[in-house]
Amino acid sequence: MTEEVPLDVDRELLAQAQAGDLSAFEALVEKHRDKVYGVALRMTRSEADAAEITQETFLSAFQHLPEFRGEAAFGSWVHRIAANHALMRLRHQNVVQAAEEELTGPEFNERGSWVEYPSNDWSRRADEKALDAELGTAIQQATDRLPNQYREVFVLKDVEGLSYEQISEITGDSIPAIKSRLHRARLELREAIDRFYNEK
Amino acid sequence: MFTCKESIDLLLEYLDGDMSDEQARHLEAHLAACPPCIDFLRTYRATPGICRRALKKQMPEELSQRLKEFLRQKCKP
Repeated sequence: MTEEVPLDVDRELLAQAQAGDLSAFEALVEKHRDKVYGVALRMTRSEADAAEITQETFLSAFQHLPEFRGEAAFGSWVHRIAANHALMRLRHQNVVQAAEEELTGPEFNERGSWVEYPSNDWSRRADEKALDAELGTAIQQATDRLPNQYREVFVLKDVEGLSYEQISEITGDSIPAIKSRLHRARLELREAIDRFYNEK
Repeated sequence: MFTCKESIDLLLEYLDGDMSDEQARHLEAHLAACPPCIDFLRTYRATPGICRRALKKQMPEELSQRLKEFLRQKCKP
């Protein structure tokens, strides 16, 4: 998982927090809250749920501080707690998702060739400094439209940078199933970006 | 040699470096002869990075404040 803060600073704060220093714990919360909130929001699509998950995550981290031995970075630990909380919430929502298996992907003819050629290589624009705001919105909407199980995997792997093994541990799904969903989610999002550039 | 469909189906494994040398050779042979699939590979590979930037989110100030208050109430040493 990507760490944006120096790990030794986290370790120091963690040691202080474990010794009972609440302000050190608050400093850790401040450093990691945006990413925790981000993963919860992307997974649940609800600001209210994401805010609650962020609260639950840091409360749970605080309650388990004495047991945290620092094998993983503090950031990775709280992200995994947040992903678990988000996942539990999604599974409990028990939403009927008719579109679950209906991600279509690119179309091919019976010989396995393209029905319609991909027309635009926009990959170099990925390096542009500023991301077009409309493109950002299109990507957010496309991510929100993904069925839960696809969105979970995409957010955890491609946005949060967890390994397949970590995702498997959190979701209880097999690595081949996770890879298959990730591939289909990427195809769907690639399509959304492609539509954006072709309509521009 | 793979078809376009077979090649696209294997892109994740290919980019993860998770396929046999023989499969990779077949796929690369297809890509070398198929500009649409090369374009597709490039855009498929760029997708996670663009999405990561688009989906970066900051917690709104009001919620951050509420989080702080919540933790101050609940977290007692």
